[in-house]
Amino acid sequence: MAAPALLLVALFTLYPVGRALYQSTRIESPIFPSRFVGLQNYRDVLGGIYFQGAAGTTLWFAAVTVPLLVILGVLVALLLNESFVGNAILRVGMLLPWALPATVAGLVWKWIFLDSWGALNAGLYTAGLIDNYIAWLTTPDLARTAVIVVFIWTQLPLTAIFLLAALQAIPGELYDAAAVDGAGVFRRFWNITLPGIRPMLVIVTLYAVLMAFTNFDIVYSLTQGGPGTATTMLTYFTWVESFKKLDFGAGSALAVVIALASLAVILVLVRVIPKGALVEERA
Amino acid sequence: MSKRSPLRRVIIYGGALLLAFFWFAPFVLVFIGSVLPEVNLLSFPPTWFADPPNLQTYEYIFTGKVPESYEQRGALRSMISNEVRDVPRAVLNSIVVATAVMVINVIFGSLAAYAYARIRFPGRTAAFNFVLMSRLIPSVAIAVPYYLIVQAFGLINTYWALIAIYSVLTLPFTTLVLTLYFRGLPEEIDEAARVEGASPWRILRDITIPLALPSIIGAGLFSFMLAYSEFLFALFITTTSDRRTLPVILGALSANTDVTWNMLMASIAVGTIPTLLLAIPVWRFMVRGLTSGAVRG
Repeated sequence: MAAPALLLVALFTLYPVGRALYQSTRIESPIFPSRFVGLQNYRDVLGGIYFQGAAGTTLWFAAVTVPLLVILGVLVALLLNESFVGNAILRVGMLLPWALPATVAGLVWKWIFLDSWGALNAGLYTAGLIDNYIAWLTTPDLARTAVIVVFIWTQLPLTAIFLLAALQAIPGELYDAAAVDGAGVFRRFWNITLPGIRPMLVIVTLYAVLMAFTNFDIVYSLTQGGPGTATTMLTYFTWVESFKKLDFGAGSALAVVIALASLAVILVLVRVIPKGALVEERA
Repeated sequence: MSKRSPLRRVIIYGGALLLAFFWFAPFVLVFIGSVLPEVNLLSFPPTWFADPPNLQTYEYIFTGKVPESYEQRGALRSMISNEVRDVPRAVLNSIVVATAVMVINVIFGSLAAYAYARIRFPGRTAAFNFVLMSRLIPSVAIAVPYYLIVQAFGLINTYWALIAIYSVLTLPFTTLVLTLYFRGLPEEIDEAARVEGASPWRILRDITIPLALPSIIGAGLFSFMLAYSEFLFALFITTTSDRRTLPVILGALSANTDVTWNMLMASIAVGTIPTLLLAIPVWRFMVRGLTSGAVRG
């Protein structure tokens, strides 16, 4: 019964991966004749300062956004687990940023951050908070911050929803018992909430890592990797090599490197995670 | 619920307001941007509301009636691009493709998940891990090989190509979620049915699927959303505007200098409507259906 799905996935996974590996060892472009160059592409790509810059930016981006997403996700989930007026609107409405195509999310925020007539500048100016428009998207650090904000905007909803579901599965009696024993808010969080949501925390963290490493659409529509190369991450760099410079060999080599890197990160995370946190194998 | 301290109420409502602002303000700004004349949007110091708002951008997208402000030649702008008129068609394209992907996910995802959850066969764990790991590869990495496959089948610029690719991208996740969910269903029911002589097909059709329906609908809607949003593959698989999906058209509009900001904002707003309509069913089925399996493990 698994065969149809497996076949479909295999055709579209094994062949492309094989093809990418093959291309990565050759000069491949529409202009030059194709020929085998061994590991030349890998040497060129890995040795270049642009790759190192993009790799650094990607690692930095993941290091900032993954903890931020998980921590904010827990806070938002805790908040939505309380009863308050408007809770239902917030829960359903927060699906919108996630459901919006990421390219469109980038455009929406471009309209907010735009240097010369963006909504944020207009708002701050009208409120009298700034005298000159701030170049949000053309100052390296601000542009990086902008990409992070949009990334959080699109990814936080799903993170929070999954954590909320985990919170709701914790039996309420545990909290009542702890309250009787006189445990404070933080004790209860540490001893009941955290262990209760741990499996979901793992899933959410893995998902966040994956998204941080493979995210492309937001950078494409918000900053085009700029200013300069300030927001050029590995996926965008690969796009430039493959489709702007039409160097498919180098692009494929890069792609292989990214895939191996995300695999390594996931494997490390899976090892670090305590046994039994992911209840998977029962058979 | 016990009585809450005032401090706690302040924190809760403060947080909720902050969150609502962060999540919804951008949508409000898009709508505001879409109903104001561009002259006002571009003004400095900003005088957005100097002229009354109007719905002429939307009128142009749906009927082709050129807004008044464009008629004044020699003013700030007199250029207009009829590319924005492709937006409704693009929404339709996206919906067609995403619906097909959803159907494929529901059928093949349930079958595969049932096999992983209930039937022992050689290489089961390996196959399961393979399906999951296949999502580690970034799209940019496989874009060129995918293009070549699609070209070999003669499917460039067809719905079929997009449907196939998106199904492959979403099936691993659907399978994972449904496998977790099916595993959580009590096996005793299956046992009982098997003792009575029911085949695996019968058990799947009459027991497992009805029990897991919310989860299946949830996973289906999830795949719909992903297919509706995908950008990169759609960008180079589609070559004419009657096949382009919404993210591709909006990407093109944002790069087109003849498209004014208010037109772009109106296009985004039109493209967001299907998402808005889906938010409530997605919440009902996806959030409950998807997460319950994973929570119970």
